This record gives sequence, C-alpha cells and structure tokens, in this order.
Amino acid sequence: MHRAIALLLVLATPPLTAAAQGVLRGTVHDRDDAPIRGAAVVVPGTTLATRTDLQGRFRIPVVPAGRVRVHAAAIGYGFVDTTVALTGGDSTTIDITLSPAPLALPPVDVISDKVPHFGDRPPTSVAQLTEQDLNRRAVNTVDEAVDHAPGVQFVNGQINLRGSTGYVQGLNSRVLMTVDGVPMNQGDRGGISWDLLAVDEIESVQILKGAGSSLYGSAAFGGVVNVTTRDIPNGLHTRVRFTGGVYGDPPHAVWRFRDNAGLFGGADVAASYGNDELGGRISAGDRHSDGYRQQDQDDHLHFAGKARWQPSVNTRVDVSGAWAVDRYDVPLSWCSRGECDDRGQVFQPFKVDTSERGARTDSRKGYLAAQVRTTVSPRLAWVARASWMRTHFADLRRSATEFGVGNRFGAEGRIEAHPDSSRTAIVGAEATVSDVTSDIFGNHTQSEFGAYGQSDQRIGVVRVSGGARLDLLAVDGGSLTAVVSPRVGLTVPTDARGPNGGTLRASIGRGFRAPTMAERFVHTTALGFDVVPNPTLRPETAWSFEIGHTSAPLLRIIRLDAALFWTEARDLIEPQGIPIPAGGLQIQLQNVVRARIAGLDASVIVAPIPDRLIATFGYTYLDTRRRLAGDSTSGPLAFRPRHLVTLGADYTLGPVVVGADFRFASRPDRIELEGFVDPRRVPVKVLDLRATWRRGPVEFRLLATNVLNYIYNLVPETLAPVRNVTLTAVWSH
Amino acid sequence: MRKAWLLVAFLTACGGGLEPEPICAPSLVGLCGTVRFRGTIPANTENVFVAAYLDFPQTCSDLIANRQPLIPGSVPYTDSLTLYSVPLSPGTYHWVLAIWKKPGTLTLTPADTQYLRVAGYYRNPADSTLPGRVTVPPGASVGDVDFVADFDHLRPATDFVTCTAP
Repeated sequence: MHRAIALLLVLATPPLTAAAQGVLRGTVHDRDDAPIRGAAVVVPGTTLATRTDLQGRFRIPVVPAGRVRVHAAAIGYGFVDTTVALTGGDSTTIDITLSPAPLALPPVDVISDKVPHFGDRPPTSVAQLTEQDLNRRAVNTVDEAVDHAPGVQFVNGQINLRGSTGYVQGLNSRVLMTVDGVPMNQGDRGGISWDLLAVDEIESVQILKGAGSSLYGSAAFGGVVNVTTRDIPNGLHTRVRFTGGVYGDPPHAVWRFRDNAGLFGGADVAASYGNDELGGRISAGDRHSDGYRQQDQDDHLHFAGKARWQPSVNTRVDVSGAWAVDRYDVPLSWCSRGECDDRGQVFQPFKVDTSERGARTDSRKGYLAAQVRTTVSPRLAWVARASWMRTHFADLRRSATEFGVGNRFGAEGRIEAHPDSSRTAIVGAEATVSDVTSDIFGNHTQSEFGAYGQSDQRIGVVRVSGGARLDLLAVDGGSLTAVVSPRVGLTVPTDARGPNGGTLRASIGRGFRAPTMAERFVHTTALGFDVVPNPTLRPETAWSFEIGHTSAPLLRIIRLDAALFWTEARDLIEPQGIPIPAGGLQIQLQNVVRARIAGLDASVIVAPIPDRLIATFGYTYLDTRRRLAGDSTSGPLAFRPRHLVTLGADYTLGPVVVGADFRFASRPDRIELEGFVDPRRVPVKVLDLRATWRRGPVEFRLLATNVLNYIYNLVPETLAPVRNVTLTAVWSH
Repeated sequence: MRKAWLLVAFLTACGGGLEPEPICAPSLVGLCGTVRFRGTIPANTENVFVAAYLDFPQTCSDLIANRQPLIPGSVPYTDSLTLYSVPLSPGTYHWVLAIWKKPGTLTLTPADTQYLRVAGYYRNPADSTLPGRVTVPPGASVGDVDFVADFDHLRPATDFVTCTAP
C-alpha cells in the first residue's frame, strides 16, 4: 500500500522544472518532402504523444531535457525510431522522413483510444482507416467508409462487427461509436447517427473488434468504432467540397417508377484558423437526394464546430459540437402484390405500399463536448470530459404519428500513467444519464455509472494487458444492476523484426449491453400487431475470445492477418410473439436467446509494385447458433451471412489513382419475424469503381458504386442501393 | 492478383440478384398464386404440393382419381410464403388445396390417404368457411389464388370425404 502511494506521489509530482524540460517540435514528411498529415509522433514510455497537422507539423511540450527518444509512423509508411538532444527551457526542431512501406503495420491510435499504444500491437483485432483511405475511396458518408473494412457489414444502416448486431429495427446497436473519445450512441434508442458528422470532418476511424466493455462499458458488446475528427492546424485554412451524382434506373422496365433519373448533390464548406495557443474551425453542409426508389427523398443540413485552447504549456482544452437536420421520406416496405400498381408482379422493389404514401421522418440531432487534458509530467496525464447529445425524431405517417426526444449527458475522468518504460496504467470513472420523452417510449431516465482500470506490462518480449470495469445501471431511479466486464490479453512477437514483424495475439473479455429505453418501454404497432413494453429486460452479456496472428511481410510483398474468434452470448434481446388470452398475438422484446458466434477473420495485403499497386483481400466466416431459453430448438442467428468477402485494389499513376472494391456476402440463413414478412433475400455482390485526380489544392473524385446494378436487399422488403455515380470536387487552401 | 480478379468475375457473373417475378408466367394455362405457411413444420414432412379438383370429391377414390395434376410437383415450404403455379385444363375448379405428405410410397389408390393431410385450401372470398371456385379460361391462366396452409392444423381426408374400407 505504502509503495502504491509513493508511486502515485512520484507520478503526480511534476519533477521537472521549466529548465529541465523543453518543447519538441518538427515536421514529418515523405522522401519527396511532401508533408504527411496524421502521422503519430510519440516519446515512448511516456504520456507524450501527438499527431501531425495538415503541414505535417507537430509540437510536444514538457519533454524531459536530455537525449529524447522519438517514434514516428503513419499508415503506409515505415516506422522511425530516432533520438534528439533537447536542452531544458528551450525548444528543439526535428525533421522526420518516413519512407513508403505499404505493408507496414499501422501505428495504433494514440489519441482516440483510451490506452495509448504505439508500435506495440494490441491484443485484439483493430482495423484503421485514415483520411487518405477516405479520400481514396471517394466516399461521401462515414458509414460508407467503415463498410469497406474487413469483418464489417452494414445492414440497413446498422453496423455489424463479426456478426454482433444483426438487424434490430434501429432500436439498439451492439457496437459503440465514439467521436474524439465521446460515446455517441443515441440516449433513447442506442443506435448510431452516422449522418451526424460530415465525412470531411473525419481524420481517421479506428475499429476495435470484439468485446470492449472492459474500457468502454455498455454497447461495446461487439466492438467499438472510434472516430477522430480533424485537428485544427496553425494558420488559416479553408476547404470547399461539391458533390453531384445520378442514380441508375431499375434494370427491368417493369420496375420503372419514374420518368427521369434520380439526382443527388451537395456542398460543404469549412474554415479554420489556429495559432500555438488558440484555434477554431466551423463547417456547414447541405445535401439533397431524390433517392433511388419511390418515396426516398432526403434533405440534410449540418453544422459543426471545434475549438482548441492551450492555456498552459501542458494543458489543452478541446470543445466540439455538431448539429444536423434531416427530413427524409420513409420508403417503408416495398410494394407487394396488390399494394400498389404492381404491373402483374409479385413484388415491386422500387415502389412502396400506397397506403403509406407521404410518410416521412423529421430528425434533428447534435452534440456538444468538452475535454481537458493535462500532462502533469511525462509519466502522468489526466483527462476530463463532459458531453451532451440530443436527438429528436418525428415519424409522420398516415396510420400514426410518433415522436421522441432523447438526451444523453456524459462525464468521464481518467488518469494515464507510465510508471516506467515497460508499464502503462489507466484508471477512470464515467457517468451517463439519458432521458427520453416520447409517445411510444414514454418518459423515462436511465443512469449508468462505471469505473475501470487497465494496465499493460511488458514481461520480456511478451506484453500482457489486463483490466476490468464495473458498471451500475438504474432505470427511473429504481434498483441497481451491476455488471463486471474484465479482459486480459497478450501479444508475443514471432520474429525479431521489431514493430514491423509478426505478432501473435490472444485475448478474452466480457462485453455487455444495457437494454435501451426504447427496448424496455416501446409501445407501438408493427406488422399489424401491438408491440408491448418489457421493463424487466436485463443486460445482454457475452464472453469473447480471440486468437490471431499478424505475419511479417512475406516475399516482401504480402502480409497476412488472421484471427479466430468465439463469442458466447447470453440474454440477447429479440422480438417474440406472445399469444394473448383473448386470441391473437402481441410482440414483445425479451431476453430469450443464448447464442454462439464463432468464426475466422482474415485479411491479406499485397503490394506487388511498391508505390503503385496495392491489393487487399478480406474474408470473414461466421458460424452462429442461437438457442431459445427453455427450448431445445436452435438455428443460426438472424441477418448473419456465413461468408463475407471484400476485395480491393488501387493503382497509382502520378496524380491519378484508380481503384476497385468488390463485396460479397452470402444469403443470411435466417431473418427475424419469419412468417410475417416477405422472406425473399439474396446474396450481396457489389462492385465499386473509383478514380481520383489531384493537383495542388484541387482534387476530383469519381465513384461508381454497384456498377453492375445488382439488385439485392439486406433486410426484408427493403431494397439496397442501386448503381449510382458520384463526382466530387474538393478545393483546399 | 489475376486469380483474385477471376474470382470477382466469377462471383459477379453468377447473377442471383432479385429479379421480376410475374404473378403468372405468360405461358401458363392453369392457376397460380401464393401459399402462406403457418405453424411448425412437422418433423416427418416429405413435401407439400398444390392440387385442384373440378368437382368437390365425395369419396376417397374421388380424392385420388380426380386430382389434377394426378402427380403434382411439390412447392417450397420452408419459407413463410411461396409462389405456386399449377398447369390445368380449362374449366371451373371447386377445390384448390395444399396437401401435406409424410414419407411413404404412393400407390394412386385410396390407401394413399394415410400419407396425406389437407394443409389448407383456397376459400370463397364471400364466405371464407367454404372452398372457393376458380375458373381457368381456355389458353390462359388465372392468378391471385392465394391461401394459407397451417402445419399446426393438418386435417385428414376423412374430414372432407367418406372413405370406405377397400
């Protein structure tokens, strides 16, 4: 005990006088002197870490004087380990040159993840997307970008990591999204508002696969998507982006539903100014889409802002916020025979049931977040944040009008410590209070309090990490439900090539998800049946195990990564039909399912012509089993395709990059509410083509998605997007 | 790399997306529609088929001998809804039904009824307690002959006809 107190005092006491520390600044660029933005620069074994700005510049204050070891890396570039002499009370400038290395492992995020890792591989699988990836893929929304990562599938707007979520009618998500470390799942429904942030605001996306509740608490049942927004560079910067496109026609004349092609387009503008002490950015955007099917128009308007303030050399304050307004038609289910002018067809996938013509949703959502980070010493830092997220929706239909207003207030405090170069420790506490006011969910509040701790320790060549989180949940001030989520993991290098070598990883952890207020209290009508509330819902829990290996480069052109994963879940929440005494049926969400999700997640990256040609291959095999409580029947989980394949290739020729992506998902073996909906479903086979051209401040991106105009659906009676072509022009200054 | 693109070409060339589904194929002479399945599929299910009778059968012999088609093809029954079409001669049919069959060899004799159950039948739109009548016009088809088959309420032939011992 005395030792622990002494250690804490040593960590907390700023041992360095101003004369014993200095400022490390510099630039990171490639061999052609072009700046590399978003590169991670770290003083290893300390809390000191940052990312480079648009000009590749970085600045790290309170660096201990003397010979300072510096690590730098960026996705697609080799790792650099260098040393610089720093005089106390002074600043030293260092220029770091990174060499292209397409097979280099990405430096795991040091900013948005709660535990700083650099060069070390994490014990769980992580996929990363950088700003360059987003640009190269020419995507227009955040979910489009995430959808291309291996092991990820979107099902009608809901993200699935290794088959975690399935499709749950927008009432929850088993994946947590954070923006700059702030949880962003809706307070009332638990879903993710992917359109809250414009893709132009995003600097990187980090996808943590597997249960992450030991650090992130509820909703991190199947994984976490960490979104990092752009930092504010020094100087004045502006960015303007125009997008326009056209939807393809239905491939069969009998499905035509309009005379003219559907169009979409939009514009975004952002401006920022910053110096060493202050910085701010504002952005706004507007877009319209005619939609690719009947009753599918969408109007979207968004504003976002971010500010940073460096009140002292070791403290930084960040404030950010966004507000989005959407008004979109609700296509509902496609038209089945007799529900519209069916032209003698069993179904009309581009048309809707005429009885619900005119249905639309008005949606407004936004967040405000503030974070303070103080680097007390190179060995200790603390972070505090507060956030408020608000969502509002109104579903306007002929048969019913429904509305809901949800708030989510959050606060978190965290201490990061590096007692020595081989250990990292983190402890924190988090509180979230959510409320909802709605005619279908009622008026309720839900409180969640969590405390967590995690430590990483290097023992020889092995890195071991372990931690746990305790969450206490209460609804409407009622009794507390406690959930403990531990996790342990280790990584072992399998060769001696340092950060670019092979690594074996293994982890086991527990994930959980608290029922959302929408799930507990929903009272509405669906498919002609009453949906009744179930306030006694319990949290879903799961044990998740993973063992994986990342190879060192093979033949200098190939790198492999493969992981076997196994999840045992309990109390999964699914809709159930309940006979009522008076006859008929009601639908209620119940904890009814035990499930097993096991499989293989593999990816291959090939760079046969360095700097020119890169190809990627991803494959996920899912084997799922569900068992109803008290019932011997079993079968696969709904909406989980057994096979998921992604193929991608990019060829660079001077200022032009051309590429292609192909995605295959096998036909799901099972859907929910079978018997009440059209069971028609097919495999997914989508081919996208893209090209970008960049010269100076101007960039053009051409994206053709679903070029074969493959007609498919991911959920019953809902047509997935058809072929569309988008041209984007970006001017940056 | 080349193999990867060959795989892409293979997968994309397979087709398999959603296609238009005419309620009745243009060349069909007979009737067509949907069967919506309810209930739990019995473990000993061999198949389900749709058949029609010009006159409502009175005996077990009628049930076997007057069935059209005499040897019907089975319809998919594992999904909740299936489309069917039955080629028939022109005429007015008084009973269109889904027949459930358990394992066993049919002999086209009244003894076949031990393997067969009535799962559901097309009903009179004006009075759903009665079977509906359907008229197949010469050289054409009639659609919208939709009905429900309930695996939880399979009914023996004797609920509808009189079977005497052979």
